[in-house]
Amino acid sequence: MASSSSSGLTFKLHPLVLLNISDHYTRVKSQATGAYAGDGSSAGADSPPPPPRVFGCVIGVQRGRTVEIFNSFELLYDPSTHSLDRAFLEKKQELYKKVFPNFYILGWYSTGSDAQESDMNIHRALMDVNESPLYVLLNPSINHAQKDLPITIYESELHIIDGIPQLIFAQASYTIETVEAERISVDHVAHLKPSDGGSAATQLAAHLTGTHSAIKMLNSRIRVLHHYLLAMQKGEIPCENSLLRQVSSLLRRLPTIESEKFRDDFLMEYNDTLLVSYLAMFTNCSSTMNELVDKFNTAYERHIRRGGRTSFI
Amino acid sequence: MDALNSYASSAAMAQQTWELENNIVTMDAPSGSAPENSASDAIFHYDDAAQTKFQREKPWTSDPHYFKRVKISALALLKMVVHARSGGTIEVMGLMQGKTDGDAIIVMDAFALPVEGTETRVNAQADAYEYMVEYSQTNKQAGRLENVVGWYHSHPGYGCWLSGIDVNTQMLNQQYQEPFLAVVIDPTRTVSAGKVEIGAFRTYPNGYKPPDDPISEYQTIPLNKIEDFGVHCKQYYSLDITYFKSSLDCHLLDLLWNKYWVNTLSSSPLLGNGDYVAGQISDLAEKLEQAENQLSHSRFGPLVAAPQRKKEEESQLAKITRDSAKITVEQVHGLMSQVIKDILFNSICKSGKSQTEPSDPEPMVET
Repeated sequence: MASSSSSGLTFKLHPLVLLNISDHYTRVKSQATGAYAGDGSSAGADSPPPPPRVFGCVIGVQRGRTVEIFNSFELLYDPSTHSLDRAFLEKKQELYKKVFPNFYILGWYSTGSDAQESDMNIHRALMDVNESPLYVLLNPSINHAQKDLPITIYESELHIIDGIPQLIFAQASYTIETVEAERISVDHVAHLKPSDGGSAATQLAAHLTGTHSAIKMLNSRIRVLHHYLLAMQKGEIPCENSLLRQVSSLLRRLPTIESEKFRDDFLMEYNDTLLVSYLAMFTNCSSTMNELVDKFNTAYERHIRRGGRTSFI
Repeated sequence: MDALNSYASSAAMAQQTWELENNIVTMDAPSGSAPENSASDAIFHYDDAAQTKFQREKPWTSDPHYFKRVKISALALLKMVVHARSGGTIEVMGLMQGKTDGDAIIVMDAFALPVEGTETRVNAQADAYEYMVEYSQTNKQAGRLENVVGWYHSHPGYGCWLSGIDVNTQMLNQQYQEPFLAVVIDPTRTVSAGKVEIGAFRTYPNGYKPPDDPISEYQTIPLNKIEDFGVHCKQYYSLDITYFKSSLDCHLLDLLWNKYWVNTLSSSPLLGNGDYVAGQISDLAEKLEQAENQLSHSRFGPLVAAPQRKKEEESQLAKITRDSAKITVEQVHGLMSQVIKDILFNSICKSGKSQTEPSDPEPMVET
């Protein structure tokens, strides 16, 4: 998907950042309501005060036109200046530099349903750390009807309004990006797979369930497209050429890979795996064989001994 | 659980049934009937008074086996795994923050320490001590009130257990900094097996003999580490690990799945882990050779000594069998996803080709 922001940057967001913000918010909220519970001893029964906004900093890497947001950390809000606590930010940055030397400050995050007027102050204050900071906004209200992640990434754009140059927030699109280990642990916590090894059967079931649900998702997406196209064909929906072009290019991409090289590699992979299972079978066999020989030996030995004894008597 | 069933989307349903089948609640709610929102997030509240009281009572001093369970937050798990993986083949370490609840240690968050190195370096905590203090201070300011309850480090490729140096480090910490927990993560095996390989351990005090051998889960340990493992494996015990997430986490993860299924499909464990698998197989070969040597010795050796030794050897061969089975299972899983993807995306047949031909790869036939 192409970025819609004018800067043309591509944003990649790691799930860790999501969880980090969510955790920060939940923690602050539960500390606040918890204090209430201490007084009235009824946790969250009466309406708690609106949870305070949380603030933090997102860090990551920018390579060319791609911005990858890897991690985040908490920041303090300074109510007197309506900005972020600068000394704290620098301290934290220094600490994070030691562990993740190649991550830079990319911008900041907060919670709320929409960007607020005052946010521009904070945004501007960050501009000497990063020339064009970005602003990640998480909407913490849980809305089950919603299908999209309640995350918005804003960039600032300089616009001339009434002859005065002004910064305004422009929404940017983003994609979710993960490394393999991250994907597995997200899967792990999202589906809460049995944490113990389990038998081969449960592992297989878990593996296949994961794949199955992914394919089901793919199927449902394709069905949506199909419905849309049908409706368009019937003329219920106005025909939109750019969308049609996208659909057609999507379809054209099948079959995805069709080359001699791929076939070969695929077969190689396949045979490697067969070989591995063959070897495992071999090992298994020899182990069983060994056991058998041992048993045989034991039986035979005893027989001799008994035989020997009888011959003595 | 009413709210759970009201989801319309089938994907969400599948996910829910999966969770229900596995008997997993969003959160260990103190009372099951409490409203989902407030109860499930109660664990995130830090009660300073209760923790101080617990600290003063020190119930763990009387029973070396006092702590039995660990609860790890989704965030902490994710942070630890990502950090461990970012180290590659180098061991990395960090600290965990959390609290205690009865016989459970709750890990809320984790942070990395600027220490990395080999087995002998991981206990170089002096370097990191200053960092730790500074980090905790800033964290306290930011509203993260929990204290440090343990440390984690990675064992890339050789399983979750405590080495001699780890045992010493942990023992030292348990003397001065209770409650303290050691967590080991194997990022390489995590990727290879497709599930998070993690272990949580506590050591017994010096001179304590565990009442009976707690049967720890069997795991593969490379030949060059097996001695280290064998010598120290009686000095600690592992704790049960469960995970928890807040209601907002849950919501976000649900939504994340909507964007995320692509990654599940596009991942290929076979490609990324070739080296590791090759290493495992060569390790197995070495073990096999060793077992073979011993076997032939005992067979031609004095017959009297054979019965005692036999037991051990048998289990050794059995172990090798199990390891090889494990590698195979992982490989086959990887291949299975590849084949499924091949069928899905590559078997579009242009009218001429038969449907089954490309989707049914056979063992390589030289043409």
